[in-house]
Parts: sequence; structure tokens; C-alpha cells
Amino acid sequence: MFEVRFHGRGGQGAVMAAQTLAEAAVIEGRHAQAFPYFGAERRGAPVMAFARIADRKISIKSQVYEPDLLVVLDESLLDIEPVARGLKPGGKAVINTRKLPTEIDLGMEVECATVPATSIAMEYLKAPIVNTAILGAVAMVCDLFSMGSMQQAIENRFGGKFGEAAARANAAAAAAAYSQTLRGRCKGNRPFVPRRVWLPDWRDIPIGNTLGEGVKDGVTVGPGGAKQNLTGSWRVQTPRYDKEKCVRCLRCWFSCPEGCIKREEDEYVRWDLNYCKGCGICAQVCPVKAIDMMKGGSR
Amino acid sequence: MVISGDHAVAHAAKLARTEVVPSFPITPQTLIVEQLAEFINDGELDADFIPADSEHSVMSMAIGASAGGVRVFTATASQGLALMHEMLYAVPQNRLPIVMANVNRSLGAASGIWVEYNDSMAERDSGWLQVYVEDNQEALDATLMAFRMAEDRRVLLPVMVCLDGFILSHTVERVEVPEQQEVDLFLPPFVPFNMLDPYEPKLINPIVGPEYAMEMRYQLDRAVDHSREVINEVDEEFSKLFGRRYGGLLDTYRMEDAEFAMLTLGTATGLAREVVDDLREEGKRAGLIKLRFMRPFPFKELCEVCDSLKALGVFDRSASFNGGGPVYTEVAAALCNVPTVVTGHVAGIGGRDITTEHMRGMYDAVERASRGEEVRSVTWHGLRGDME
Repeated sequence: MFEVRFHGRGGQGAVMAAQTLAEAAVIEGRHAQAFPYFGAERRGAPVMAFARIADRKISIKSQVYEPDLLVVLDESLLDIEPVARGLKPGGKAVINTRKLPTEIDLGMEVECATVPATSIAMEYLKAPIVNTAILGAVAMVCDLFSMGSMQQAIENRFGGKFGEAAARANAAAAAAAYSQTLRGRCKGNRPFVPRRVWLPDWRDIPIGNTLGEGVKDGVTVGPGGAKQNLTGSWRVQTPRYDKEKCVRCLRCWFSCPEGCIKREEDEYVRWDLNYCKGCGICAQVCPVKAIDMMKGGSR
Repeated sequence: MVISGDHAVAHAAKLARTEVVPSFPITPQTLIVEQLAEFINDGELDADFIPADSEHSVMSMAIGASAGGVRVFTATASQGLALMHEMLYAVPQNRLPIVMANVNRSLGAASGIWVEYNDSMAERDSGWLQVYVEDNQEALDATLMAFRMAEDRRVLLPVMVCLDGFILSHTVERVEVPEQQEVDLFLPPFVPFNMLDPYEPKLINPIVGPEYAMEMRYQLDRAVDHSREVINEVDEEFSKLFGRRYGGLLDTYRMEDAEFAMLTLGTATGLAREVVDDLREEGKRAGLIKLRFMRPFPFKELCEVCDSLKALGVFDRSASFNGGGPVYTEVAAALCNVPTVVTGHVAGIGGRDITTEHMRGMYDAVERASRGEEVRSVTWHGLRGDME
């Protein structure tokens, strides 16, 4: 049994990637399965997807805890969760990054491939949907399927849903990634710090599906508990504000779904970039174009 | 007073000083909320009466009002209860002590306005406590006790008082209506547990992931189980104040040396009492178990009562389809380690009248089983045509 775990963000196509990988394995005559796990269905939120490949029917439906292959679609996840947890010592990793494999630190030294999947996706698909590009790199490091099967799987899954042109563009992105994949070994210096979670006994759960303000096991819970979830890390574009143009209508402040636009005393605004997901609604509603969205998630 | 079962329930809700009554009419329950509307209109009850656009809204309002910190009562039946289904499930997990009367009426197609328990039995896994009553006096008393049980800090769960449509709801009987001062001694003012309070913000009903839901469900499972103790205590206290005792989760009749017995719920119990008396006069060692609470289910208590019983018949006024009735399957599960032979007896479906002959037929079958004779596991009594 060969097990794969994908880490990505909502909208990057981790689920589709897992399904396509499973289909490539089936094209090779094997058995395979793929399934997602996510909490809130929101673009930018961390998601996982899993795949299993075997030579016989797969009965197990549990999540994958000790993958043979780790696929990370978003480099920023490396800093917010221990993505390599449980990766088998002889396992492999594929990371979407411009860096060399030796520059990546997964917390364990394993065979690692890197590929600039975001720029490939932008070039071939005009969108940062990196799933097909990264599958090219997966085909490069994994001998369970040929690049031909992978491209066939991409065309099958994307052609039916988005049409022939999209299928060809996605297969081309995968082919480009295949040739741009760098192989090596990553570093293992990063300590594994499990995310803090409050996991109370049934007796310690507050009665009545109701949670007051408080700190439990070092985690802020209840109203205001979302403060610790720095959703600004999801951002791939950042608002730029031209105060000169601003007419102080406050439509941006009113429309921001995260409430991260703050009113100053003089009715001008500022952004709390710790929480701005870069959705761009503020730029859309601004009547004088005082806001535009810049590429990139940095401040 | 000579009043109907519905009016007995309305009197109980009034005596409990209910503060909010969201309501939607449905036969055979309408008399309850009509009577409450009258009490409010006449200044006898200080409560808000909220006519809703559906039962789904009724239960939503009940949830809001209860979380807002007031004592809430409502009533429904059949399709109305089914329409509440979604909201019913929110109440126990939120631990809101809402009391509701469900006047049992058959649900679904091939149904009418008459009694069958397939409406409330379908909600037995919702987390609501369910009590079934035998007569109008018990309808009143059980409703009063329901508030005490529901609001007890060890329970904090909603209670559904189930009474037979028409057979109780529209039948007048002599009912002792307690004085307000007596009830005030029994039922203190409502003190909310998790109140909506702008000065103390809380996260209520968030999405609950797999990492918490199981513990929360088990906590609810324990709360329902622990309510058994409180139900018995409240019954005891009620009997001290009002002189009427109901036995808590279940009651027994002439079970001392019984060899065979029926387990009944609702108004069939009264009929079974008569049949037991007849059988005893014939020298037969017949007994009767009256099941009061379907939730919490008296697993342990039943085993104790059936300890030396040879055969037990279980009455059901609804079917679970290809498995007998829901009470039968639960009793059979409760007694799986007891040598008592358990058989199921379905009768009175869709409000069909249950006669002394039907009940006698059930007892005869159970007596045969007690002598070691082969008896059908489930029998439909009063059915035209032989059973398959």
C-alpha cells in the first residue's frame, strides 16, 4: 500500500490533485482511492487530501497518518503546521516552491523534490491553481505511474469538467513541471511543534454547546478565539491604499467580511494585515479606486 | 374540576407560571394552546403568547425564549412534531429545559387525527425526555413534574409529555387541580443556566468538529441517564406535597407474585389494570408494568421488576416495520440477559379502539408463553385476516 497526503489551501486544488493521482494509478492497472478532509469550506483555509494506491482492492477508509509521499501545494504551510508529521523515514516529499530541495526544512531529512508550481500555473492556466503542475513533479519522483498516465488522468478529470482546452492547458502545466522539478534531500532541523489544541475530556466540555471567553490549555476559546487564527497568511494579494484618493465613504470598512479594515479617528482607514485574506472586496466596492490589489501576500 | 386532558395540561402550564408560549394549532392539541391563550387574555397567566407560522418556528422561538432566560411551554402533535424535528435536536444539546406536550396522533400517510405513537417514538433519539401518561390527572401532574425535572441542574433537558389524542385530549374526567401556592412551593421560579447575556458574550452553537462532537454526545448520553435519579426524586417529592405517586420511570400493578405480565404505556394501561383484576379473580398470577418514561429508558429497573417473571408481553401503539414496535425492541434489549420470554403486541394503530377482548388476547398469549408454549414473537391484535 502506497499512501499520499496532500497539504494545500482551499482553492489550490489539493482535492482534485489527490483524485487525479488516484486516477493515474488506476490507468496503470492498480487500485486507488482519494478523499479530502477540510473544516470550513473557504478559499485559503488549510486543507488536506489523501490518496492510497495498491495492487488489490483497498478497504481501509481512515485518514493517512504515515504517508509514503507528502505533497505540499503551499510553501507557507511549512511555517504554520508540521506538515511532515508521520512521514515514513524512507518517504518522499514534493513541495511547491522556488527554492532548492536543500533549502527546504521539513523537520526530517528525506528525499525531496521542489517545483515552482505557482509560476507554472500562472503561465499555463493564468491562475494560481497549482494542482496539475505539482502532479508533474509527483510523476517525476514516483514510479507508480508514468508521466503519460498522469497526463491522461489530468485530461480525463479536467476535460470532462472544464472542456478540452482546459484539459490540454493543465496537461501542459504538468509537463512543464515535470521538466522543471529539482531533486535532492531536504533539511531536518525544524522541530516538530504540534499545533496547540484544546482537547477536553467529556466531563470538562462546557455544558450546553456554549463556550464563554477563556483560555483552555493555552488556547483562547469562545468569543474572540478566532483571533489566534492569523488568516492573513492565506493572502496571495494585498490591498494598496491611496489615501489621497480616499473620500472616506467607508464602503470598504462596511464590506470587509473579516472586519479587518479599521476606522481611524479622521475616518480614513487602515488594514489589519494579520487577518486580511486578500479577497479584494474592498478594492471592488471603492467608488474612487483608492484601493487596488497587489500580487503577493507580503505586507 | 371535570376537564379534558388538554385542559389539564393547560392548567399545569399555567400553574407552572410559564412565561412564553409559542404556538401553532394542530388537532388534537389545539385545546391546550387555546386554553392558555384564554388564561393569558383573562389575566390569569402573565405570559407572552406567540402565534407562529409553523411548528418549526414554534420550536425555534421556544429555543430563543428559553435561552433568553424564561420558562417556556408549548404543545404539538403528529405532523407538527415532525415539522419540529430539526429544531428538536438542538434543544437537548443546548440543555434548554423546555417542556412540551405532544398529543399523540398518527403520522404520515394512511393516517388521520387519531392516536398512534409513531409521532413521538420517531423522536426518541433526539435527547428529549419522554413521559407517557395514563389519564388526565397524570397529564396535569406529569406536566408539572416535567418542569421540575427539566430545570434541575443535574438534568437541564427538555421534557415531552405524551398523551393519547382524543382518548385523553378530548375526554373529560375528574381532575384535582392543585392550588397555585402549593405549586409555587413545588416549582421555584425559573433560573436559566446558559442565558443569552450581552454583558457576558458566549459562543453558542458553533460548528462542532469531529474532535469535540463525540465527547459532547457522550455528555448528553450521561445527562439523560442521570435524569433517572432526578425523576424518582421529583416523583417522591410530588407525592409528599400532593399525595399522588406515579413510580418514577415505571409503575407496577399486582406484580408481587406475578408469573406473566404485560408492559403497557399510555391509556392502554388503564384497560390492562381491569384485565389483570379479572385474571387474578380467575386465580391466574397476572401482573402489569406501566412504562412511564421511554427516555430515559428504565433498562436496569425493568430487569429488577422482571427478575422472577416467566413471560412479559410488550404493548406497542406504533410499528417499527418488520421488527414489531419500538417499545418491544427496547424491552427485549433490556431483558436480553434475563430468562423472561418477551413477546410483542401491536394494537390500537391509527386510533383503532382497544377493547377488553384485545387486551385479554394479549394476556392469554403471554400466559401461554409463560407455560413454555410457542407464541409468535410479535402479534397484531384486532387485525383483519391471519398474520403472515
